[in-house]
Amino acid sequence: MLEISELHKRFAGGPDAPGGKVALDGISFVVRPGEMFGFVGANGAGKTTTMRIIMGVLQADSGSVSWQGRELGRDTRRHFGYMPEERGLYQKMRVAEQIEYFGRLHGLGAAAAKKATEDLMERLGVAERRNDAVQALSLGNQQRVQLAVALVHDPEVLVLDEPFSGLDPIAVDALATALQERCRGGVPVIFSSHQLELVERLCDSVGIVSAGRMVATGTVADLRAAEGNTLRVVVRDPAPGWAEGLPGTVSVNGDRHILRTTDGDDQEILRRAVKAGHVEHFGVEQPTLTEIFKEAVA
Amino acid sequence: MNGLMLVARREIMTQIRTRAFVIGLLISAVLVAALSYAPKVFDTPDVYTLGTVNSQQLPLQAAAPEAKFEWRSLPDEAAAKQAVLAGDVDAVLVNGTKVLTDGEIEPELGVLMQTVNREVRLGAIGTSIPPLQIESVNPDARYESARTGIAVVLVLVLFMMLLGQAVMVAMGVVEEKGSRIVEILLSTLRPWQLLGGKILGLGVLGLINLVTILAVGLGAATASGIASDFPPGIPGVVAGVLVWFVLGYAFFATLSAALASLVSRQEEVNTVMTPLTMLIMVTYFVAFYATNDATGTLATVMSYVPPFSSMVMPVRMAATEVPLWQVGASMAAMVVAVLAVLAFGAKVYERAVLRTGARLKLVEVLRAK
Repeated sequence: MLEISELHKRFAGGPDAPGGKVALDGISFVVRPGEMFGFVGANGAGKTTTMRIIMGVLQADSGSVSWQGRELGRDTRRHFGYMPEERGLYQKMRVAEQIEYFGRLHGLGAAAAKKATEDLMERLGVAERRNDAVQALSLGNQQRVQLAVALVHDPEVLVLDEPFSGLDPIAVDALATALQERCRGGVPVIFSSHQLELVERLCDSVGIVSAGRMVATGTVADLRAAEGNTLRVVVRDPAPGWAEGLPGTVSVNGDRHILRTTDGDDQEILRRAVKAGHVEHFGVEQPTLTEIFKEAVA
Repeated sequence: MNGLMLVARREIMTQIRTRAFVIGLLISAVLVAALSYAPKVFDTPDVYTLGTVNSQQLPLQAAAPEAKFEWRSLPDEAAAKQAVLAGDVDAVLVNGTKVLTDGEIEPELGVLMQTVNREVRLGAIGTSIPPLQIESVNPDARYESARTGIAVVLVLVLFMMLLGQAVMVAMGVVEEKGSRIVEILLSTLRPWQLLGGKILGLGVLGLINLVTILAVGLGAATASGIASDFPPGIPGVVAGVLVWFVLGYAFFATLSAALASLVSRQEEVNTVMTPLTMLIMVTYFVAFYATNDATGTLATVMSYVPPFSSMVMPVRMAATEVPLWQVGASMAAMVVAVLAVLAFGAKVYERAVLRTGARLKLVEVLRAK
């Protein structure tokens, strides 16, 4: 289990912020083996800072990160796979050599690195580009190579900062499949994204950060339950003042009145609606992650 | 394999295959070879075409064995004037008493003709003057011009190699920082392994370059025959240059990496490197000055002061005989300087290389904990 607890980080102040800027204000969450954890939040909320601290490229002012009960050190992190924001690859290096090189840096022997590279290139569909320089590849293919670099040493934990940004839907699917495979193999995967539908579709659990704090965390189902379902009623041409005394809000669209509410007696509402006019729709709607997110960071 | 060696190996393998490296190596080899042949090409003997009208040819050849003389006999003074003006002859001796030229006569030819004419006339009346014996009291003098020439070439080669490799290091550091590869690298490597591997790898490439240049230079010098003018002890001088390159490179490359780690974009490399480029240039100028005055006070003093010693001492070693203890003392001082720079550079690099974004100030980096 990857456990992040009480991370605090303040960046030194510049001329624009003399007191410094608080980037993390007590971030805590856990990711279990085989769990895909979606990290969402507005720009500057602290996602990248958290990931960089997990990967040890940034030091927290306080707090800790532990993997399987042990505080992380360089030796443990060697077994992590990492994709930084605004990815980095050697543009002029060949695809296969690059993946192999990172495999060796992560401690694989020459033969093992070669084999892992071959397997990955095959699976990610970049095998025929093995001898091309990275800069000759399309963005989607570069991203696949980047993922291969993160995966080559068969990492125990995956930390990916915005892995899906800038990809077309097909590349997104390829990447998602690769991540799900690893996840099924028992690897905890953390990734950040602004594509909330994608996070909703892929992730077992979600953490929403805002201004350096974790404002909501849990499975998507838990978050939905906490948010509460919304009852939506559409009544056509109702008698005026039909909703008086009912909970929620009414919006008017032409001759249709739409009532939205998260509480109240649904049967009572239905009776009132039927009496007032022609009921076109009566249903309970689950909040989308986007709605939960907007609510959480508001 | 240890991380540092892996990094060094990558630097070598990626660079050595680039067209820029291969072409650069070829160009410098050709340049150095050309330089070795240059003295042969430019030292062609002087050739004079001379005419006579009603005169004996002067025995100029005996007086100036290196020059070549061609004689033509002309019918009269009018024809002689025409030949001079047409540029067919350099000068015409008329009636054994006057010389026709187009404008002023070439000074060497003038002096030669006057002297030989005088000698011939004096000889005719039975007077012969023994020529002055010339004796050099400086035993080294025979090699002086060769030594200076070697020193000039070596210091130029050293300068270009040191500057070139320092820039390569800087660009490599910024490539990794700007693209954030450094974040992946530093999640598995220590900063000193990454920095050390890069400096080591590019240093090996520099050495390959330098050894090639020196080998081609010596080979071409032997082939062209100018090596016969070389003073003894050239192998020692060449070995010295290699050692000084390693020391100078370690010094400049480390500073270069430290400065480069302050910026995140290739366009900013030039600006941030300016102080270092200036330092390398100044070192070169001092060393170049020293080729002219290798025994002077400036050369002697600067050959002990790091980093100037990395170029000035090889100049002194090539241009004069330098006692071994002096070389040793100078190297010891340079080694101390290199160690200090390594400690300083590694600290700056470690603190700055992960702080992507706007250009950092050196003071700011040093002050931050």
